[in-house]
Amino acid sequence: MAHCTSFPYEPVAEIGGGAYGTVYKARDTESGKFVALKNVRVQTDQNGLPVSTVREVALLKRLEQFDHPNVVRLMDVCATPRSDQETKVTLVFEHVDQDLKTYLEKAPAPGLSSDRIKDLMRQLLCGLAFLHSNQVMHRDLKPENILVTSQGQVKLADFGLAKIYSCHMALTPVVVTLWYRPPEVLLQSTYATPVDIWSTGCIFAEMFRRKPLFCGESEMDQLGKIFEVIGLPQEEEWPTGVTVSRKNFPAVKARPITDFVPEINEQGAKLLMQMLTFDPLKRISALNALEHLYFQDEETSNQDETL
Amino acid sequence: MSHVQLSSSALERLVARRTFPLHRRTGVCRNLFGPVDHDELSRDMKAKLREVAERDQQRWNFNFEANTPLAGDYEWEEVSAEKTPAFYLGSAQQSGRDLEPPTPVKQRPSLDSDVPETDAPGDVMERLAAPGSSTGPAETNQENRADKLNSGSPRRVPCVRRKRTSAADNNTHITDFFVKRRRAADMMISGDTRHLSKSPIPLEQTPRKRIR
Repeated sequence: MAHCTSFPYEPVAEIGGGAYGTVYKARDTESGKFVALKNVRVQTDQNGLPVSTVREVALLKRLEQFDHPNVVRLMDVCATPRSDQETKVTLVFEHVDQDLKTYLEKAPAPGLSSDRIKDLMRQLLCGLAFLHSNQVMHRDLKPENILVTSQGQVKLADFGLAKIYSCHMALTPVVVTLWYRPPEVLLQSTYATPVDIWSTGCIFAEMFRRKPLFCGESEMDQLGKIFEVIGLPQEEEWPTGVTVSRKNFPAVKARPITDFVPEINEQGAKLLMQMLTFDPLKRISALNALEHLYFQDEETSNQDETL
Repeated sequence: MSHVQLSSSALERLVARRTFPLHRRTGVCRNLFGPVDHDELSRDMKAKLREVAERDQQRWNFNFEANTPLAGDYEWEEVSAEKTPAFYLGSAQQSGRDLEPPTPVKQRPSLDSDVPETDAPGDVMERLAAPGSSTGPAETNQENRADKLNSGSPRRVPCVRRKRTSAADNNTHITDFFVKRRRAADMMISGDTRHLSKSPIPLEQTPRKRIR
């Protein structure tokens, strides 16, 4: 592209997509709302942006029309060609001040109240049920990409961009967090929307513990830590066609989840275990989780009071 | 619905849907719209892109090319990494997207598939989606390819149905994408009928159908 001759090199600060740099954030003087820019680099050929990228962006824009309260707003997508091989894609998102990680860190001493946790979980699952019903998997759900507004509203971020990131990722050295990964992904088996439910379970536990549930240092270590809690799955539950053998792990028995999450109530513990189910097909869905008794006791007790 | 029997004509149809030029099917290759002035096209495209970029710049009063704010309704400020959720930072937190298991197309064993024809589903999908297999970048340009066919260039793609190499490149991603999507949907709907890695890909689920 013509203008690229004047930009033969990228500014140093942008290497790594600004991971160690800064973020541009703005206030809309008309609405008072905040937006922030997120840059990703996408590889291009002579046909321009890959069709997959265009398609993902189109999907995100379509989701946007639903204006779901628990999903971060994507206001615009701006493409700037950088060279014949690369286009900078700038995503304009609504800006939310903190993510769940900070929110949990900032919570005063005894941690979040059980009602607060329940509310956060309900919102999280609402957002997830919305994505899943639109056949979008998050695949990388973790406290860092769950935003929490100052009013306590949960907004999921960073979903549906896998294809857009894939190029970007190849260019960026990344520290991978395995802590929220489900067994089927760690085992490199096939996976679908239940991956997000596993991650949600890990996050649910973390809301009580204020520290992660499974802190593995490698895929194998992560699996080992998971089995220490949920027990080594039965032979017939082990996915077929995976390279990692069940025999690599000690035959540990499941321990009560309250050993690890003592503050959780009975229904909460039941829901948590339905989320941390090894077999993705037996794992609870987002929609069913919202119907779980855990979310219903509060309402029924309120009803009892008003009657 | 996942055990659709595909005759060879159904396969043709499938392939035809995904490949743009008519000569893929008929064997008659004509350049219907005359030669393309690529310089002009490229100029037009650049002008259009510039127009879009200017609109973006005005809407957000931000110069995306230079990554600098301009005066306007949006009051821009640069905030440091610690003062904003990691999500907004370019990449460090986008962990492990590249470590995803490969798309299920190639993993999936087609042994227990009921599809009777000689081509296993995986094989068809692979041929449709073959990433860049033997296809140079030049051939992805449709007009040029037609041109070359007419002029008998040595790099031409012969109009033989079984050579589907030109479905390469971009289509790769489309197929990948929809197979993934398809699986997500399958999983949600079908419950625990069978382990997914064993169910054959429903070949009738073409991108066209999925869009609607």
